[in-house]
Amino acid sequence: MSYRVPIGPYHIALDEPYKIEVDCEGESVVGAHVKVGFNFRGIEWLAQRKNMTRCIALLERVCGICSNVHSMSYCMAMERIAGVEIPKRAQYIRMVVSELERLHSHLLWAGVAAEIIGFQTAFMQVFRFREQVMDVLEAISGNRVNYSMNCVGGVNRDISDPGAVAAVARDIREIVNRAVIPLFTHDRTISARCRGVGVLTQQEAIRYGAVGPVARASGVDTDLRRDTAYLAYDEVKFAVPVQTEGDVLARVVVRALEIVESCNIIEQALAQMPPGDLHLGDIYSVPAGEAVMRVEAPRGEVFYYVETDGSDVPSRIKVRTPTFANIPTVVAMVKGNELADVPLIQAALDPCYSCTDR
Amino acid sequence: MTGLNWQERLGQTCVQATLGEIRSIAGKMLDCGARFVALVVNQTKDGDLRLDWHWELNGKLYSVESTASLTTPLPSIVDIYCGADWAEREAHEYYAVTFEGRASTLPLMLPEGDPPGILLRHPGGRA
Repeated sequence: MSYRVPIGPYHIALDEPYKIEVDCEGESVVGAHVKVGFNFRGIEWLAQRKNMTRCIALLERVCGICSNVHSMSYCMAMERIAGVEIPKRAQYIRMVVSELERLHSHLLWAGVAAEIIGFQTAFMQVFRFREQVMDVLEAISGNRVNYSMNCVGGVNRDISDPGAVAAVARDIREIVNRAVIPLFTHDRTISARCRGVGVLTQQEAIRYGAVGPVARASGVDTDLRRDTAYLAYDEVKFAVPVQTEGDVLARVVVRALEIVESCNIIEQALAQMPPGDLHLGDIYSVPAGEAVMRVEAPRGEVFYYVETDGSDVPSRIKVRTPTFANIPTVVAMVKGNELADVPLIQAALDPCYSCTDR
Repeated sequence: MTGLNWQERLGQTCVQATLGEIRSIAGKMLDCGARFVALVVNQTKDGDLRLDWHWELNGKLYSVESTASLTTPLPSIVDIYCGADWAEREAHEYYAVTFEGRASTLPLMLPEGDPPGILLRHPGGRA
């Protein structure tokens, strides 16, 4: 018997509004249709009507999880147009905050995944670890969501107690190595729930343009931190975890291993961070020009195109978020799976619908 | 790669192409294993559209640049890169451009029935 099951836009399995209509033959999924746009805010339209400083605050609100990466990408594009290089210390601070953001994003996802699997204890434990990261971000920036760390030409705040941040990174790495990774890789329940489910092949990942952990879990060895070495990523050592299975378990494993790598980067960055200025001073306009900036956000590549005309208002800002690239892959992932696996498969993307909608 | 005269500009590897070449370039990009990144549409001062298709291969960004008038249908590459579907639907909503070769261009972000072209500097400039 064929039938179509609508899930969303407002549904108990969804954290944000989004709709997926699943075509089923009995319990098996034979097709899916995705609908987004429920949170469309017209940020690209708004950005062309605000001066370049107000755009920082606007673009930081593209996403509530990886807010820093958006303001940072925009500022880096502006700095590229202006032809300026920010102080080394500012580069390191941006790198540390970016990795803290990746930590809390991946831990949030691990908690949500545990809850969807039905592992409430793991959910609560992982969220407890995540709170440590949130506390550090609050201590650095004064905020838990929109950190307001970036300005064109550098950062607004220093990391005044690098030792405390490094201690948290060490704690998180130890906990993740001791508890989280074994949990997601050896627990039979999780393995039974995730192995072989929602497979995205490497070829499909390329044709869909998948990014970040979703692509890396399908054997696409890509990471902008290594491949383009922006900020000071070429001055720290880290590995890029890649899995080839392309299933939900592979995505879980990639993110868990990335937590460890982020902790390593934070520790190295704090140890190597040179003294110096935080920014280049007030920059309220840049010359006419254009720049493309790509940054590895927790969910994958963020793409910014910025065009300026010499005034203080950007003439075009294009934002392509990682989830915008990843959500369409769910259509390939759910085919042939059971209807009951759909919530887990779409959650395994670590989707952010609001930043997709912009 | 792809037999085109790629040039380094603004940290990207760029090439100018006609609209007629886009599908063939996309096919060659797929053969090379390149990932489709984004389609950036921008309106020039004289009202025409500038189009940049971006691909990534081995960490390097390849950008194919073209231009079109507001009423020129653009080539769709959805049958080559399914990931371009949303990019083309969004370009339609923002600049009211049409794509040849698509079965349909359903709304992506805008509610059904809303007129496209929200980023056009002169709304109504397109039929």
